[in-house]
Amino acid sequence: MALVRKDLLLELRSREVVPAMATFVLASFVLFRFALGGDRLGGGVRAATGLLWVAVVFTAMLGLSRAFASEREHRIWDGLLSTPVDRSALWLAKACSTFVFLVVMQAVALPLFWLFFLQEGRPPSIPVLVAALLLADAGIASLGAMLAGLASASHAREVLLPVLFLPFAVPLVLVGVQVTVATISPQTSAMDTLERLGFLGLYATIFALLGWALFEYVVED
Amino acid sequence: MSSSEAVRCSGLVRRFGERDALAGLDLAVADGEVVLLTGPNGAGKTTLLRVLATVLRPSAGSASLYGHALPGQAAPARRLVGYAGHEPLLYPLLTAAENLRLYSALHGSDGAEVESALEGVGMARRAGDRVEELSRGMRQRLSLARAMLHGPRLLLLDEPTSGLDDEGRGVLLTLLEQPGRTAVVATHEPDWFAGVAGRAVAIDRGRVAV
Amino acid sequence: MGISSQSARPDPGTLAAAVAAVLMGAALAMIFFYVPTDVDQGYSQRIFYFHVPIAMTTYVLFAWSAVNAVRYLLSRDRSLDMKSYVPMHLGVIFGSLTLVTGAVWAKASWGVWWYWGSTQLNTFLIIFLFYCAYFMLRFSVEDGEKRATYSAVYALLGVGLIPVSVLAVRVSQELIHPITFNRNGANMDGSMFLTFLVSLAAMLALAVSMYFVEMRGKRLDERVRRIRRLAEAAR
Repeated sequence: MALVRKDLLLELRSREVVPAMATFVLASFVLFRFALGGDRLGGGVRAATGLLWVAVVFTAMLGLSRAFASEREHRIWDGLLSTPVDRSALWLAKACSTFVFLVVMQAVALPLFWLFFLQEGRPPSIPVLVAALLLADAGIASLGAMLAGLASASHAREVLLPVLFLPFAVPLVLVGVQVTVATISPQTSAMDTLERLGFLGLYATIFALLGWALFEYVVED
Repeated sequence: MSSSEAVRCSGLVRRFGERDALAGLDLAVADGEVVLLTGPNGAGKTTLLRVLATVLRPSAGSASLYGHALPGQAAPARRLVGYAGHEPLLYPLLTAAENLRLYSALHGSDGAEVESALEGVGMARRAGDRVEELSRGMRQRLSLARAMLHGPRLLLLDEPTSGLDDEGRGVLLTLLEQPGRTAVVATHEPDWFAGVAGRAVAIDRGRVAV
Repeated sequence: MGISSQSARPDPGTLAAAVAAVLMGAALAMIFFYVPTDVDQGYSQRIFYFHVPIAMTTYVLFAWSAVNAVRYLLSRDRSLDMKSYVPMHLGVIFGSLTLVTGAVWAKASWGVWWYWGSTQLNTFLIIFLFYCAYFMLRFSVEDGEKRATYSAVYALLGVGLIPVSVLAVRVSQELIHPITFNRNGANMDGSMFLTFLVSLAAMLALAVSMYFVEMRGKRLDERVRRIRRLAEAAR
């Protein structure tokens, strides 16, 4: 867990990733707001929620592309790998710090989202949205830490990471939007919502397990 | 295979794509020996050290550290080895002390030895300075401290003298002069080590040169 | 040594190609001449006998690739990397065919066989995206153990993706309007089922023979590379 502290400390000092992500989210919202129609929200809250999830995913990828940057730039891997620390622990630490960054980013994004998009029409249930985002964050962080490791092998790593991640993002966004939007309509039962939240939890679990098991292969040379 | 043999390599091969960085290398280092690796750039010295540091897996052949075969028994071998590579392997944005505390934690320790390690290389006053603010020589010294932190039996040093200032060189010499010190040192300055090193092995094109 | 032992017994590649040719012929004959025209969808429904077997073959190829990926990670045997990559590659080809035949079918008829409704199409799209990403990964990393290892790891991540996709689509049914199902439940009558089976067998045989063709090509490549390496080392 010292590794997680290290990542957080690094970010605090360098202020690279989180501000960039926050700015990106803000810019996306502005863009989306205008794209959906400045005055009246075309497509309503449903469209906006969809775009929220898309923005979350893209912002996450932006943050992830820097995930292993300092290790790579300063060849620190050699140092880390020569210690007896479990390779999977390296993955876990990176996933945890990514999770924290994502949550921080969303803490900024949600109020903005509310401000930009939820001023008219019926809003979706905020607790459900928050729960869904947290679960999705766990999934994105787990998978993202893995894929960032894979992508660092190539020279085109900034482009490769989104390409590798997007197929996995589709089910996530699908259910994320669904669970959020469905709470607008009063006909959605709690069972349905729980089922979808359960899926997000399952997603996170599956990829956490795979990440734990496979990271040593990513990092071993 | 006695565990008093620090290093034994037999036909060690390490491939990178099409290129064989190590092409059948044989080496034996006994406990208590300080062995120098010499040879031109690209000969494979760094690769050899990285394999011994368990950072790289052998592609073929065998290598073992104190009787632990690599890569299968790499995990127990890691506690016995201290590696200082070309780069200082430190996070520039963290302070000297923070870097060492991180490595200490990675070795399963609580950081108690960090202070004495810093003193040992003469860096105690600069403990709270970020690595990016330190001079090259000081970073090298810090890197040495990092390698020594967990009290390893075997030191693997890659060009430790490059960029090292005079005070640092003194520290390095003292380190290597300690009785029972076992080390494999890649260097372009074999003469400087004449007092402490037992022998020099020339590496060329991934093999021991004859 | 390798060459002579291959000529001693029937080459599996040729055998597979022969079997595939026979089955294909039979399947084509059955699809166009034997099976009765579907009452609802008319003549164009016959596309189904291409589309679904091709889709199933794509899944089989993926599973095959994943199994070899696991075997590779456990043994680091480079030939297994090739055996994992080639089915993946074939999967892209068959996957594209699935999408094409699926589109043709959808256009020609609005009815869809119930079980394969929206779940299949969407899951397939996601898997196809994954296939493409696999190739991007493979082309971005230099040849060597790293590329093999990373490909295997990604392939196994894909294994996690499949159930996830199926579940995701199921759980969000509201969002995706299910295409109206026609009364064809899971029952096809005898002749239709037989045609379907033959077509499935034909597609699988085709995949297998293409596998052997591609493997042979890759092995030759590898042999040339090895010879070149030896020649350079001897210099």
